[in-house]
Amino acid sequence: MIEKNRITSELSDLVGAANVLTDSTALSVYECDGATLFKASPDIVVFAESTEHVSKIVRLANKFSVPFIARGGGTGLSGGMLPVNGGIIIALNRMDRILEIDVKNQRAVVEPGVVNLLLTQAVEDRGYYFAPDPSSQKACTIGGNIAENSGGPHTLKYGVTTDHVTGLEVVMPDGEIVEFGGYVEETPGYDLRGLMVGCEGTFGIVTKAIVRLTRKPQAYQTLLGVFETIDDASSAVSKIIGAGMIPAALEMMDSLVIKTVEEAFHWGFPLDAGAVLIVELDGISAGMRHQAEQITEIFNSHNCREIHRAKDETDRQNIWKSRKSAFGSFGRLAPSYITQDGVVPRTQLPKVLRRVAEISEKYSIPIANVFHAGDGNIHPVVLFDERDPDQCERVDAVNMEILTVCAEVGGTITGEHGIGVEKMDYMPLIYSPEDLLVMTTVRDIFNPSKLCNPGKIFPTTESYVKLGIESPTV
Amino acid sequence: MTEPVNNRLRVELSQLVGENGILHDDQDNLYGVDDLLPKAVTLPDSVGEIRDVLNYAADNKLSVIPAGSGTKLGIGNPPERVDLVVSTLGLNEVLEYEPGDLTATVQSGVRLADLQAKLAENGQCLPFDPPYLNRATLGGIVAANSSGPSSLYYGNSRNRVLGMQLVQSNGAAVKCGGKVVKNVAGYDLNKLYIGSFGTLGIITEITFKLNPLPEVERTMLITFKSVTQASRAAIEIADSQLLPIFLNLIVGGAPSVDIVDPCLVIGIDGHHETVDWQMNQIRAAANLNDATGVEVKDGAYQRDVRTSMSAFPESNPQMVVCKAHLRMTDVEKFITAALDQCSDLLDLRVLGLIGNGVVYFAFSVPSADTASAKFASIVIAELRNHARNVGGNLIVESAPTSIKRHVDVWGEIGSSLKLMQQIKARLDPLNLFCPGRFVSGI
Ligand SMILES: Cc1cc2nc3c(=O)[nH]c(=O)nc-3n(C[C@H](O)[C@H](O)[C@H](O)COP(=O)(O)OP(=O)(O)OC[C@H]3O[C@@H](n4cnc5c(N)ncnc54)[C@H](O)[C@@H]3O)c2cc1C
Repeated sequence: MIEKNRITSELSDLVGAANVLTDSTALSVYECDGATLFKASPDIVVFAESTEHVSKIVRLANKFSVPFIARGGGTGLSGGMLPVNGGIIIALNRMDRILEIDVKNQRAVVEPGVVNLLLTQAVEDRGYYFAPDPSSQKACTIGGNIAENSGGPHTLKYGVTTDHVTGLEVVMPDGEIVEFGGYVEETPGYDLRGLMVGCEGTFGIVTKAIVRLTRKPQAYQTLLGVFETIDDASSAVSKIIGAGMIPAALEMMDSLVIKTVEEAFHWGFPLDAGAVLIVELDGISAGMRHQAEQITEIFNSHNCREIHRAKDETDRQNIWKSRKSAFGSFGRLAPSYITQDGVVPRTQLPKVLRRVAEISEKYSIPIANVFHAGDGNIHPVVLFDERDPDQCERVDAVNMEILTVCAEVGGTITGEHGIGVEKMDYMPLIYSPEDLLVMTTVRDIFNPSKLCNPGKIFPTTESYVKLGIESPTV
Repeated sequence: MTEPVNNRLRVELSQLVGENGILHDDQDNLYGVDDLLPKAVTLPDSVGEIRDVLNYAADNKLSVIPAGSGTKLGIGNPPERVDLVVSTLGLNEVLEYEPGDLTATVQSGVRLADLQAKLAENGQCLPFDPPYLNRATLGGIVAANSSGPSSLYYGNSRNRVLGMQLVQSNGAAVKCGGKVVKNVAGYDLNKLYIGSFGTLGIITEITFKLNPLPEVERTMLITFKSVTQASRAAIEIADSQLLPIFLNLIVGGAPSVDIVDPCLVIGIDGHHETVDWQMNQIRAAANLNDATGVEVKDGAYQRDVRTSMSAFPESNPQMVVCKAHLRMTDVEKFITAALDQCSDLLDLRVLGLIGNGVVYFAFSVPSADTASAKFASIVIAELRNHARNVGGNLIVESAPTSIKRHVDVWGEIGSSLKLMQQIKARLDPLNLFCPGRFVSGI
């Protein structure tokens, strides 16, 4: 970066030298997110403590024409916060105050660095929670959730982050502070709040959010079914949805995940099981047992070998820990992994999972599946050793084939992790050049200098070459 | 004077969309906007025809108002002129429906009622209850983001539209979103088009997330001595573990003759045991707040009550209907203040969707003269101030044109207006669609 010293000194004047990192060891922490395969080092990391800080930092970056990128918890899985062209990372972890809790109106006002789970913990004793619950909720921030429009196991019934955000304060890419939406349900004009959510940090930096709080349900029923084959389990999924039930969550783990999780944590899963389904019902206690019975019947008619029904809250928490601990156990299987995130129509799940298994076999790359089955949101975890170039090449082919299958059956290439740098090459699988042109037109309105989180989301000429699709002329 | 010109227009348009693709001129009044009639109403039945009509409009400097059945054309500032209306009624096919996926893809001119009938065969539904239930098209419902009181539990288009296709002003057909229930690939442009009132493009195809039909539906009518008691009961219910489908407060103009107001109208659905339990809880909350009567409705009567509530905003063309968005806890104060202030207005009616923080406020104006129009505009301004003072907003959903000429139906927008204007300018550079009708002259 040219003029790094001058920028550093001006940043230090703005926010204090202690809030500015420039030495390479300190910076190395910030060279990737949860998709550790992709790395790029920032030139400077600066910790912002207020909206004014962020605005001033952004204006400074503009003055020197250097890229700037927001960073929350750094748990993203698509390289969203990667400083691909260097520049300044604006770390928001210190903007972590919950500014207002108003359970009567089902709202909280938070700074972007508030960790997802801490918001739920802050309102729990009043009978409320923040519904989006990514499995990373102990570490990811609400700002990150908004940027990625994150989901989680319970989005089947409760929707994704956009359904739970009503207002935003944003520092725009030119440093101006703009408000979108509000405290109330609707505001007149275009829904730019909705457009901001899921923009992967390319439309500006969220400095405050007004979010919905959801009333905790009166009761839960959590069932865990062990199936002979993944085919049986995935047919059971569309049967449950087709039978007129919308469980709060419907999660699946395949045999490889079961084995790994079992060996690491000893939850008591049978090691030879083909798949495990976790179904959670929530809501009003009266009448819930009928649904639980219906689900039990569906399980039984799909060769379910054993059914475990959570008998109390501790039992229920344990079932969820087994699910949420899955990612923590993959280190035992391979030094590296990439988690794919395609979504397919629920009725296509059996077929798609079969195809994923074939792809795994074809390239001799093991793939574990742990995912949001009720949404049709698959997470094939592609396991390999990044030090082996041959494996890396095969992994690239595996990713492309899996995403192609998702697109072919009418699905999409990412359900909650975002495109980032990881999947930008694959955007042409689902969008035409004309479709993408609308997106870049909108991007250029919000972010005309393109200094705000550059090099993300959109395919390049090479992407088209890689896919064997003719490059657009528009 | 325009007769020969309009005739030429019709002839040229019929070359693009066929004789049947143009509404007979004695039916143009179905698509009148405020006090203006369109020069022609076209009903293209393919994306290609829409493109041809838009190109024709652009070449001939004609403005275009996209429409479905025309039920919501009254929403917006009065247009300077109305040239072409492009109705999507010719796009009327359900394209994909796989019950196991709980999603459906339809053309935008499909009427909600027709889709519901088809979904019901599989025990499913799209849980919207907008005004003009039988006529409203899905394109119109999405473009106006009007989904009705049940959005409290079931959400609105912003929560249910998975993807769409539209034709832009340059004739390009584009798509956004997808057909599956979760999708974060690229920007969520669906949100931009939902509630954009036809100002950015003509929606041609929409994919929705559906719901199973509930086993049992009930509507409770609970009367109270005062608005305060009724709202308190409603807020207690909203803050409980109950899951009402809608939670509405009615003051004046109750939806049926045998209801006295103020009253709460509460919708509940689901498994019969769940519904029974909820009704008991609601009765208890009502009694604690000195309810004077509780009735439970089902069957045809319930349908009538629900329909008339959804229809509230449609009222009659002589009425002024305002819609305020507020914090739930400000609804009661707003209603009380508004009633005080407007006690001498005619036909006062209030519908509060308490759980959504929405208040519809309707009154009629005795005559169409300038003095009444000015008086009405002052009332609207005061109501809007009330709403703004507590962090809310207020729009005028419908009003006689004479009144609309004295108010901005949308109100002020705030710091994001500049971006909205740029979006309109870039996505509709010719200002083809509905010029001047949306916020701040967009
Ligand atoms: C083990 C594990 C499990 C996961 N499970 C799930 C899951 O179940 N569901 C799911 O959806 N995701 C999941 N994720 C992905 C990830 O946790 C989410 O994407 C999360 O929302 C990222 O939040 P973060 O604060 O870590 O953001 P970061 O990684 O710091 O940033 C992500 C993106 O957001 C931008 N950004 C951050 N803050 C702001 C801001 N204030 N304003 C503007 N842009 C900003 C960044 O520039 C970047 O583009 C998982 C990740 C891991 C590691």
